[in-house]
Amino acid sequence: MTTTLGTNESTVRIGQHEVQMFSGGSGPPLLYLHGAGGNGGWQAFHQALAQSHTVHAPSQAGFNGTPQPPWVSTITDLAHFNLEMVQRLGLSQYVLVGHSMGGWIAAEMAAMGQENLKGLVLIDAVGIRPKQAEIAEIFMVSAETRAGLRFHDNSQVANYEEISRALTPEETLVDHSNREMASRLCWKPYMHNPSLPFYLSKANIPTLLIWGRQDAIVPVECGELYQEALSNSSLKVIDNCGHSPQVEKPQEFQDAITGFLSGLS
Amino acid sequence: MTEVFWFSEQPYGHVTDKDLEGYESGRMHFPNTYFDPLKAHELYNNYHEQYAWADELGFDGIMTNEHHSSYWCMKPSANVDGAVIAKVTKKAKIALLGNVIALNDPVKMAEELAMLDCISGGRLISGFVRGTAVETLHAGISPTDNRGRFEEAHDLILKCWTTPGPFRWEGEYFHHRMVNPWVVPIQKPHPPIWFPGTGSPESVIWAAKRQYPYMNLGALLDLTIQLKNIYFETAMETGYEPGPEHFGYLMRILVADTDEQAQEIGQEFLWTEAHRQRGPIEFNDPPGYQSRAALEIKMSRPTIGTGTIGHRLSYQELQDAYNMIIGSPETVIQKLRHVKKSLDPGYILIYGNEGAMPHQAVMRSIELLGTKVIPALKED
Repeated sequence: MTTTLGTNESTVRIGQHEVQMFSGGSGPPLLYLHGAGGNGGWQAFHQALAQSHTVHAPSQAGFNGTPQPPWVSTITDLAHFNLEMVQRLGLSQYVLVGHSMGGWIAAEMAAMGQENLKGLVLIDAVGIRPKQAEIAEIFMVSAETRAGLRFHDNSQVANYEEISRALTPEETLVDHSNREMASRLCWKPYMHNPSLPFYLSKANIPTLLIWGRQDAIVPVECGELYQEALSNSSLKVIDNCGHSPQVEKPQEFQDAITGFLSGLS
Repeated sequence: MTEVFWFSEQPYGHVTDKDLEGYESGRMHFPNTYFDPLKAHELYNNYHEQYAWADELGFDGIMTNEHHSSYWCMKPSANVDGAVIAKVTKKAKIALLGNVIALNDPVKMAEELAMLDCISGGRLISGFVRGTAVETLHAGISPTDNRGRFEEAHDLILKCWTTPGPFRWEGEYFHHRMVNPWVVPIQKPHPPIWFPGTGSPESVIWAAKRQYPYMNLGALLDLTIQLKNIYFETAMETGYEPGPEHFGYLMRILVADTDEQAQEIGQEFLWTEAHRQRGPIEFNDPPGYQSRAALEIKMSRPTIGTGTIGHRLSYQELQDAYNMIIGSPETVIQKLRHVKKSLDPGYILIYGNEGAMPHQAVMRSIELLGTKVIPALKED
């Protein structure tokens, strides 16, 4: 089922679809779902999680230039797709971690059934509509505006130069396909499912919510609403941090998630 | 055979470059606090007088369109303007170019168009457009859905016109268990359908496969000739013989008594040219608005697929490229003869006013077109 391509990259077949997979580490299984910007490949925070867990970080269907299954047009569809992947990978009692749009997918998966889940971690996740603030517009804005929303302080990002350099033509096409797929999935209702808080009311899975206090895309209020919806959750807000704590505040992120994971029986 | 149509974008001509300069884009960001409804009232009525005058002077048709969030086109509804044309004209065909069907309820669209055909006594030409991407964004619809919704809306409208109701429609985007529009068109099996484009070969191929006349909206003449060739090649592959009746060309045209006068008035065609489509690529070509195949075609043929409206050519260059034809009746006749010779369009669409052109100058242009230019073209 799994073909190893490089150190961390392989492909997994789900029905007609080949999933691009990055994986590594050893220990209990952990599934990491990327956000609307696509899968950046095996990164430092994956490696850190891989010290204690076997980490699987798939590219979501239609992202990173992979074909788009015709039946996947909502986040709920994608949650079903990922549950099938969990089954194919044989993950049992796994930890589910999702960032931004990936957090929304993860929350929908948890709502579909938590028997096989050991814990849930949502990082600056969309999926619930805030009541006071707004989730920032990321489609109808220029690339410069998007770049400006990403981090609280670019100087805190270790590889900022690398991740903000001009894209090659191949990378441009991949970026285009990522934004096309994200538009398809998240356009309306914008970045949320109005029913999600109600789905989640039956879940009592241990959940850690991690948020950057200065997240300019998904306000901390969304974290508070997740906390209200999930009865067994706690919210860790990281100061001086934007939308991606795993990249901008890796140590604080790692401390928070390690504490949570070690507490899971 | 060449039919000549009058077209006015119905600009809100009070806007200036200075007004626009401070905003990130000329459409979505330019606020409607610059719009004065009372000034619009006066402008609308001028534009309607121009329609009636063109009809009286023997234009074959009036073309109209719609845009949203655009100071240069005060028409958010082609059908509302179509109703006006139906009432202020007697003979002219009414070419809607067109309805942005992906963004509307197709059944209501079929009903309104049938109503216009009945009111006008069968003068309707129904154009269907995908719209600029801003139309889709403004409607709150994902750009990734535009193409699919367009195709399905097209099929459903055709079915409303040609299949007795009630019938059931369960599509991907539109769901009706009972469709039974009372009003159906006079023209059978349905009003002619036109399809416009600015430069995308994908649009040309779509139209050619369905034998729908393709109207090129203001590309330069060389590119338009290439697009016409794509239409004709596709038609032959599809299995029919195309002719001039399958191809139309829109140009900005202004006629005055002398070349000097015309050149002066015609300058207004450059009104806010730098701002009208200005904005991030995310507005004009958001991911998913074009198919990946279309994107590949564009990347492989860089000269094709870029509309010229919005590109910054000089006044003279635009005239040299036959995108604008400006002059005395004699000059305009001579230049239009060249267009007829090189492109042989079945339809010439005259984009006849712009910005703050004085109403009386536009009325005079219509008069000279109707009394001198059109008769000369028809004699050829």
